Amino acid sequence: MLVALLAVVIGATVFLGMGAVYYDIPRQMGREFRSYGANLVLVSSGGNSVLSLDDAKRAIALLPADKLVGASPFRFETMYYNRQGVTVVGADFTAVKKTSPYWQIQGEWPQKDDEILIGTDIAEHTRLYAGSFVTLDIVPPKGRKISKELRISGVVRTGGAEDGFVIMPMSGLEGIMGVPGTANVVEISIAASGEELSRFIEVLQAESQGITPRLVKRIAASETTVLSRLQVLVYLVTGIVLFLTMICVGTTMMTVVMERRGEIGLKKAIGAGNKVIIAEFMGESTILAFAGWLLGIISGYFFAQIVSMSVFSRGVEMPFVLVLLALVASFVVTLLASLIPVSMSTDVEPALVLRGE
Amino acid sequence: MFLRMVIGAVTRQKRKLLMMAGAMALGISLATAMLNVMLDVGDKINQELKTYGANIMVTPRGASFLGDLYGIEEGAGVSNRYLAEDELPKIKTIFWAFNIVDFTPWLDARVSVNGSEAGVPILGAWFRKHLDLPTGESVDTGIINLRSWWDVRQGWLKDDDMSGIMVGGAYAATHGIHQGDALTLSVRHTSGGERTARVVVRSIFYSGDREDDGLLAPLALVQRLTGLEGKVRRVEVSALTTPENELARRAAQNPRTLSRQAWEVWYCTAYVSAIAFQIEEALTDARAKPVLQVAEAEGAILQKTQLLMLLLTCMSLACSALAISNLVTANVMERGTEIGLLKALGATDSQISLVILAEMLIATFLGGAFGYAAGLGLASVIGHSVFGSAVSAKGLVVPIVALLILLVTLGGSIPAIRMLLRLRPTDVLHGRGAS
Repeated sequence: MLVALLAVVIGATVFLGMGAVYYDIPRQMGREFRSYGANLVLVSSGGNSVLSLDDAKRAIALLPADKLVGASPFRFETMYYNRQGVTVVGADFTAVKKTSPYWQIQGEWPQKDDEILIGTDIAEHTRLYAGSFVTLDIVPPKGRKISKELRISGVVRTGGAEDGFVIMPMSGLEGIMGVPGTANVVEISIAASGEELSRFIEVLQAESQGITPRLVKRIAASETTVLSRLQVLVYLVTGIVLFLTMICVGTTMMTVVMERRGEIGLKKAIGAGNKVIIAEFMGESTILAFAGWLLGIISGYFFAQIVSMSVFSRGVEMPFVLVLLALVASFVVTLLASLIPVSMSTDVEPALVLRGE
Repeated sequence: MFLRMVIGAVTRQKRKLLMMAGAMALGISLATAMLNVMLDVGDKINQELKTYGANIMVTPRGASFLGDLYGIEEGAGVSNRYLAEDELPKIKTIFWAFNIVDFTPWLDARVSVNGSEAGVPILGAWFRKHLDLPTGESVDTGIINLRSWWDVRQGWLKDDDMSGIMVGGAYAATHGIHQGDALTLSVRHTSGGERTARVVVRSIFYSGDREDDGLLAPLALVQRLTGLEGKVRRVEVSALTTPENELARRAAQNPRTLSRQAWEVWYCTAYVSAIAFQIEEALTDARAKPVLQVAEAEGAILQKTQLLMLLLTCMSLACSALAISNLVTANVMERGTEIGLLKALGATDSQISLVILAEMLIATFLGGAFGYAAGLGLASVIGHSVFGSAVSAKGLVVPIVALLILLVTLGGSIPAIRMLLRLRPTDVLHGRGAS
């Protein structure tokens, strides 16, 4: 009996564990894919390339907060270093860490308004590194040319355009250039792909003013492709594991019941009808299935939790539908696995069974 | 005697042993399929991630990056340095040549269209260029593979098509250009001369990026227009790489700081920094930089996927091992009477254990062999339906599976046998004790 119970517990565990992991994968993997950076950018819908941060904030509020990974505004200005123009980017660093986790910083992120990051290309060209000071000449839109000494807190390396930029805190740039509350682009990283993303873009387009959402096609399209492949993979693996485990549990149950042919023969010999015997076995199986299911819920939850915690460092949710499905599955498998050998045995002559043939 | 007993038992108890072999076959097919898929999933996902495009950017040394995010700042820090186009096949001759999936050169310029004043950006690239390598192999590479997300409705250009261009969606819309239109492109040089070319719009493309505001042409056409024959501005390389670790990060800062041994390990591993370093060695005056946006994310996703598959495999293996050894225990326990009889007839404990173990192992290994074959089938089904290519059968799986069968069988039968041996023959034969 213990053997049969163990089999049912294992079946329910695998069912619930794999089921929960499968159910959770798209969400979890979608988050991982956000390390590729923004999949949506907001640009100005007006003629000039400047958008208002208030407009952007209103637009971002339209997106579901639980899917939003980060939104980081960028403002581009030109300053001069030794009369050479350099692009200075104003950024919100806490947001950048979320939308572009791939930035590698040698040194530290800027803490104060007069601290800056410089791109690795600039660092190599000018031989300036973290800790040194640099003087930039600035021509603000209103007023005369000024010079400002800034401290380099770190060197940023991305392999992309940022390698050739000077990056400073948004508030610092606003202090120098004036016109606060504006940006050229807002990069948004949102855990959605394919149709869901297009739907968000439609919502933004319809309901927000002053900004135009644009899909970063390279990131979004590739994510849809790869994520769907991964989903199919997990789907197939889950399917195969579930199917084989169910059969395995079934065979074990059958063996256990087969063993009791002698008992069936004896009962028949002392006058029990086939129906009574089958009903008795079904009753036992029901109890087994139910007990196995209860224990399986606990161990299945741990199964899923272990996998999810160690891969994604996030907990897993056990959807209620899955728990109910597991109950149905354990009943079907247990009942079928005992019904087949029992009904086979009841057809046999008791005398033959009792003699051990 | 031993042999006769084993053979006798196997033939007499056909049905029970067959059932156990069947269960074993199922479990092992599961193990084989999962292990094979798990060992191959890294390569497969890596291939899939290539749709994100290039992960290494090669520029001429000393030229700063022609960086304009979203087309806001243009022409910052451009200097007149170029790479030589005829050196590019060398990229496919480096140590990790096999891992280079695709690469393409780019050359950008500004042209006036139909005599207009404003400079329209034009990009020249390889579409699907056929290259014969010095090693005797040949490759076809270009942006058709590297820009898989572009929406090109009327087909890509051919590399030798000197009178065809593609027009970006945004530019075509604002200037009312359609497929089949004839355009005159001209470039005025600083020396005073002007080169022109009459071209036909072969197709319109939608990239979702700033290329939409410009033109795209075969590299040779842009080279001729600008008078920069044989020169390219930058090269994009897409390579299969290993996720970065501490060593790779240190090497990326400066490979010379590594010890000789660490350096060798780094050089001979397909880290993106190592491949970039080797490209720098192969090309003159080139600077190859990993595009961290792609490289880092690739590493993260690869590691997560592999870990996920590893854990799923381990968990499902543990479960099926438990289920099967459970079945083996049930099978052994059933034979209380037989053991009692054998003991009554004077068999020693070790003899009995040997006979039972031999029977069990024969059954499970037979089942396991079938299961292995079935598992290979399952793995290739998964490979074909998910990735469209077969999952290669790894030799490593065979010993793992064999060990698994052995452990499961012994683990399932030994405790049961020991328990049965402890019983007194008379009790067992009488039908008490056991079970």
